[in-house]
Amino acid sequence: MAQALIDLVRGKFPDAVLSSASEKGDESIAVRREALVDVCRFLKDEAEMKLMSDLCPVDMLTFGQEMTGGGSLASQEATPYALERKPQVEPRYRLLYNLYSVTKKQRLRLVIELRSDDAKVPSVTSVWRTADWWERYAYDLMGIEFTGHPDLRRILLYPEFVGHPLRKDYPVQKRQPLVPEHDFPDLIRGPGPGPGGAGLPMSQTHVGRQNVDPTTYD
Amino acid sequence: MKIEGNTPESAGAENVLPALLTRRDQAIGFFEKAVSGALGWARKNSIFQYPFVTACCGMEYMSVMAGRYDLARFGAEFPRFTPRQADLLMIVGTINVKQSPVLRTVYEQMCEPKWVMAFGVCASSGGFYDNYATVQGADRIIPVDVYVPGCPPRPEQVLDGLRILQEKIQSQRHDASTLEVAEDVKKRGLFTKLFGG
Repeated sequence: MAQALIDLVRGKFPDAVLSSASEKGDESIAVRREALVDVCRFLKDEAEMKLMSDLCPVDMLTFGQEMTGGGSLASQEATPYALERKPQVEPRYRLLYNLYSVTKKQRLRLVIELRSDDAKVPSVTSVWRTADWWERYAYDLMGIEFTGHPDLRRILLYPEFVGHPLRKDYPVQKRQPLVPEHDFPDLIRGPGPGPGGAGLPMSQTHVGRQNVDPTTYD
Repeated sequence: MKIEGNTPESAGAENVLPALLTRRDQAIGFFEKAVSGALGWARKNSIFQYPFVTACCGMEYMSVMAGRYDLARFGAEFPRFTPRQADLLMIVGTINVKQSPVLRTVYEQMCEPKWVMAFGVCASSGGFYDNYATVQGADRIIPVDVYVPGCPPRPEQVLDGLRILQEKIQSQRHDASTLEVAEDVKKRGLFTKLFGG
C-alpha cells in the first residue's frame, strides 16, 4: 500500500532519496539532508501526511557495541581514556521523522543521517507547526541543531544545564544541581553527588551554576 | 554544611542540668517544660499541611485525605495551599532539578515551626529515577523529618508516618516567649487536666 507512496516520493525527488525500505507495513525513506524540507512539504501537501507524530533522535555511538551506554562511560565524569577509546561511528546521529496520514491511515518514516562534526539539519517548522517543540526537544536532549528554527532553546531542562544528556557519551552519574545540596551520606548507594559526596570538589558539582545570577536562586 | 531545621531536643546539651540549681531555676524549668508539652500537644494535633504534589503519589495523597482513610482524624484537617499558613510540607512525588529552587522557596516561605514529610520513595531518595534530571532525595535540599516509603505508599503508611511525626513534635521543645501562655492555660483548667497539676 505504502510502497506506492515510496515510489511517488522517488519519482518526484529522484536525487533526494538515498534508500528506502518497506516491510510488513513499516515504510521508511532515507532522505538527503538538503532536500528534507522539500520532501516534507510535498508529503504534507500531496500525500496528506498532515500529522508529524514524532521526531526521534538516535545516537549510534555505541550501536552494536554494548547493551547500554557503556560501563566505561558510566561514571561521574567521562575519563579522557574512555573518550579516546569510544568507537568512531559516522554518521553518528539519526533523526527519525514519523509521519502519519489521518485520512489514508498510512505511516511513513523519514530517516536523516548526521555526522557528529556537522549535526545540523534544516528545520521543518514551516511545514508542521508541531515540529517546533519536537526540534527543541531533540536540541535539548541530543544537541542537534536545527537551522531556521524560530526559537531554538531548551524545552525540558533548565537553561543552566551543560551538555545534552541523552547522548551516549554523557556520563550516567553526572548531576548538575541548581541549588546547593546537603552532604547526605547514602548508606545504600554510597555517597551522592552533593558537596563532598563521591569525593568530588565543590566546583565540579556546580557546573551548571556558573552563569547564574547568584541572587536568583538560594 | 550544617543541616538546619528541627532536631529532637533530647540529644541537645540544654537538657543537662547544671550543677548548681536554685529552686527558682527549677521552677522555671518546670514551667518551660509544661509550656513546651502543652504547645507540642496543641501543635501535633492541628497540623496544617501544604501538599507539594508533583507526581503520581498525589493520587495516594487524595486517598489519604478522602473519607476512607481520613487524615482529619489525626488533626491534619486542612490542606493549606499557601506555604505561609502551613505547618507541614508534604513533598508528594518526584523532585527534579528544575523544580528544586521552587521547593526550596516554598520551604523558606513557611513560618516556624515547620516540619517536612517526604511522601514516597522519589521524595525520600529519588526512587528509581537515578538520572540527570532528578534530585536524589528532597533531603539534599531541605531538612526532612519523616520519610514515608512506598511507590506510592499505602495510605496506612502515611497515617503511620503522621503518627511518628506527631510523636516527634510532642518530644520537641516548643518555646513560648513568656510564661503568660502557661498562666492562661492554667486558668482554663487545661493545665491540670493535661499534666496532673
